[in-house]
Amino acid sequence: MDFGSEWGWVAAAYAVTYVSLIAFAGSIAIRIKKARLKLNERS
Amino acid sequence: MTTTAPDRSRVWPWIAIVVAGLVTLVAGMLVPQDAVQGQLSRILYVHVPGAWLAYLAFGVTMAASAMYLWRSTLIWDRLAASSAEIGVYFTGLTLALGMIWGKPTWGVWWTWDARLTLTAIMFFVYLGYLALRRTTDDIDARAKRSAILGVLAVVQVPLVHFSVVWWRSLHQAPTLLKPESPDMDGEMVVALLVSLAMFTLMYVAMMVKRMELARLEEQVLRAEQSDAGPVAGAAVTAPSLGEES
Repeated sequence: MDFGSEWGWVAAAYAVTYVSLIAFAGSIAIRIKKARLKLNERS
Repeated sequence: MTTTAPDRSRVWPWIAIVVAGLVTLVAGMLVPQDAVQGQLSRILYVHVPGAWLAYLAFGVTMAASAMYLWRSTLIWDRLAASSAEIGVYFTGLTLALGMIWGKPTWGVWWTWDARLTLTAIMFFVYLGYLALRRTTDDIDARAKRSAILGVLAVVQVPLVHFSVVWWRSLHQAPTLLKPESPDMDGEMVVALLVSLAMFTLMYVAMMVKRMELARLEEQVLRAEQSDAGPVAGAAVTAPSLGEES
């Protein structure tokens, strides 16, 4: 296996890690915001 | 004049996640490559911490579920559910990273190996746990049902971890968590320990925010239920036979 393709797999692994991390943390932040809005509408 | 202090609990978990992510990236890139696997060994510093967090998260779900069954206090239910959701995310990430690592080293994306199969089963069982929580709006019934599953499902964690010892497996045996000293170079052990610590920090930070979300969602559900009024049929009363005045 050549050096370039090894780095390609490493880059893919780290990209999956960080993109999914941002998506998951972002989904929590969005759901918190939505829940707060719902509660504010009622109060 | 009064001033309101900024709510640090709203911000620090996000900062912690970013810092932990950056430190993990630096540790994974600075460490020397492996003599056999070359640059591919860098996947270790995100794959292994992902698996560790799945174990930790499902262990916390089990402990919190047991506490709920004992105390019937909803904070334990929120803790169990939050940890299970984070555990599902990290199990999915571990599976994805394992596939990315498997293709260039084993030649296949997936094989029905004991470790891989049991991890996939664990992933789907905990997805089932999250689905179970959506089957009812009754907060107490939901908490009780999911607590029972949360206690039972944890049996998969030792099964997954020791699968590479108990059965012949394509997946490599434990290198760090083994009785003898680790089969790793000192620098690689340090980088792996740093990654494990950073992923654990991410878990704590995510738990803080996910617990906040669970509390808010519970408040929304209670508010919706109190607005909806009595359930259909509540106005129908049982006939009082033989008691006519």
